[in-house]
Amino acid sequence: MRLRSKRAWRAVRRAVFWGVLGLGLIGARPASAQDFSGKTLVVGVWGGDIERLIREHVVAALEKETGAKVELLLGGTGDRLAKIYAERTHPTMDVAFLNIYESPQALKDGVVDAPDPSAPYYKTIWPGMNNGCYAMSLNGLGIAYSKKLVTSPPEWADMWKPAYKGKIALPPYPGSEDDGVLAVAARLAGADEHSADKAFSKLAELKPIATTYTSLDQVFGLMGSGEVAMAPMIGGYAMAALKKDPDIGFVYPKSPGPVLVRDMLCLVHNSPNPELAKKFAALALGVELQTAYATELYFGPTNMNVKVPPAMANDVIASPEQVKSLLTLDWPYIITQRAAWTDRWNKEILGD
Amino acid sequence: MPLSRLLPIIPLAPACLLMGVMFLLPFGMVAVTAFWGQAPGSWLVDEAFTTRNFARILADPYFVLVIGRTLRIGVEAAVICLLLGLPVASVIVRARGQVRGLLLVLMLLPMVCGALVQTLGMLNLFGLAGVVNGALKQLGLIDRSIRFLGNETGVLLGLIQAFLPLMVLPLVTVLGRIPPDLPAAAASLGASRLRVLQRIMLPLAGPGIAAGAILVFSASVTSFVTPQILGQGHVQMFGPLVYQQAALVLDWPFASALCVVMLAALALAAALLAGVARLAARPRA
Repeated sequence: MRLRSKRAWRAVRRAVFWGVLGLGLIGARPASAQDFSGKTLVVGVWGGDIERLIREHVVAALEKETGAKVELLLGGTGDRLAKIYAERTHPTMDVAFLNIYESPQALKDGVVDAPDPSAPYYKTIWPGMNNGCYAMSLNGLGIAYSKKLVTSPPEWADMWKPAYKGKIALPPYPGSEDDGVLAVAARLAGADEHSADKAFSKLAELKPIATTYTSLDQVFGLMGSGEVAMAPMIGGYAMAALKKDPDIGFVYPKSPGPVLVRDMLCLVHNSPNPELAKKFAALALGVELQTAYATELYFGPTNMNVKVPPAMANDVIASPEQVKSLLTLDWPYIITQRAAWTDRWNKEILGD
Repeated sequence: MPLSRLLPIIPLAPACLLMGVMFLLPFGMVAVTAFWGQAPGSWLVDEAFTTRNFARILADPYFVLVIGRTLRIGVEAAVICLLLGLPVASVIVRARGQVRGLLLVLMLLPMVCGALVQTLGMLNLFGLAGVVNGALKQLGLIDRSIRFLGNETGVLLGLIQAFLPLMVLPLVTVLGRIPPDLPAAAASLGASRLRVLQRIMLPLAGPGIAAGAILVFSASVTSFVTPQILGQGHVQMFGPLVYQQAALVLDWPFASALCVVMLAALALAAALLAGVARLAARPRA
């Protein structure tokens, strides 16, 4: 009994000590900084290099400035969408990174907040890009290819050459990459994404699809072993990986031009920490992270003040002029077709 | 009710509560959600009553096909596991002491690492860039990889590999209870081997066979990781289909309706399977 009370005393003393120390530290902060210690900002984001850069350039600074903790919840866009929709009335996530076409839908459904034109970080983004949420990065859908099997940088139409039959890999549907591929297929068939029949019948000519790839390592491995010749892919990821593998190439095709895709930063509606979320947005959309995105991941910056090194100008989409050369799809239409096209994809592209 | 009659029920309460909160309640919610929908142009759930989801499932042969294929693969997995599991179980039963323990541990070991690790192992072995294809290429036997996966055989192999212990364990239990002299005694009274199997062994092993079959079948038809990875999108089964609808298309009401239809089909199939097993195990007059 005595032992226990002794232990309890020690615990209390320790708590008081740390508490006083903590208070002292907080007191030592500059008076202007708002105190968020004890709060945890939850950010849903992709893993890998994106996570690393956000940790290095945003999380560290934000935690230091505010005393709050930042928790990065890693996963795909689908995981985050499901979470913010399911928790619509009691969200636990504050910031969610979504894709170009899901963010307007999320705004329409009231699960994210509309971008605030008066926010300073709104104004540094190229005009017209904050659709639904804040534009985070610019990217194009191009073709990654095995240099062993494809000797010169391919055009979209080359995917349909008999030599590559059964050697085209596609990502899982639904997703913006596959919707981009469908839109390209429709254009090669003389139509556009509004003609689903033409898109699907053209794309079905690629059957059998070599594999549905879920990771870059997987598809690059298959390219290395000669089992996959080409795979439509978001440029940034592919070009960052090129450095590691001399046998893999990546090209932004010209006819039609690469499909524009965009990562968006969304502030979750009614989130537990709206002020912290805005501070996070300011840092994430700022010059430092966007420069790192461009130089390390080849993700095009949306912030007008970012200077892309001239040597990278051809690989990184960095200006509204470059965006104009890209193919912009009717994403609001495509998003309404998601359920129907998922059924068609299962049956017509993957089925026998 | 007197306390003495209530007492035996009290230890059951935590389990019942757990089942209620973790299974019945969520499933009740799924069953209700199945009769909701989505407003046009929105991913939000619209709580107005509708049977539209069920009409869509029944009207589109694709969904019926996927459910049918899933049930068929479940039955195939159960039958093959039974055929593979019987000899394994008899060997384990006949083994003595430590050897028996060792064999059981070896049997269970794959289950410890879980379906994901096993499935990824299969992928590394049988994938297009896997060990088997690599070896065949090195030997000069093939110049283009053979597609072992991305078809029903690949998925079935993965399921059997993952769930065989679910069949062997109940078989070991029932076979272990049959006195070793019993078949010999029957034979000495003039029963043929077939007759011994039919009238002695099967009826006694029946409950174990039924339990194993139901376990393997249920685990197979509800599995997600194995068909997702080994099917590579080409073999659509129920688990990945529901994941796609719920997590990617975000149509929860439709995903819920798929679950309700599947559960109904599953209950029917399990009852049928149990009935067949019981019939097979019944001593004939």
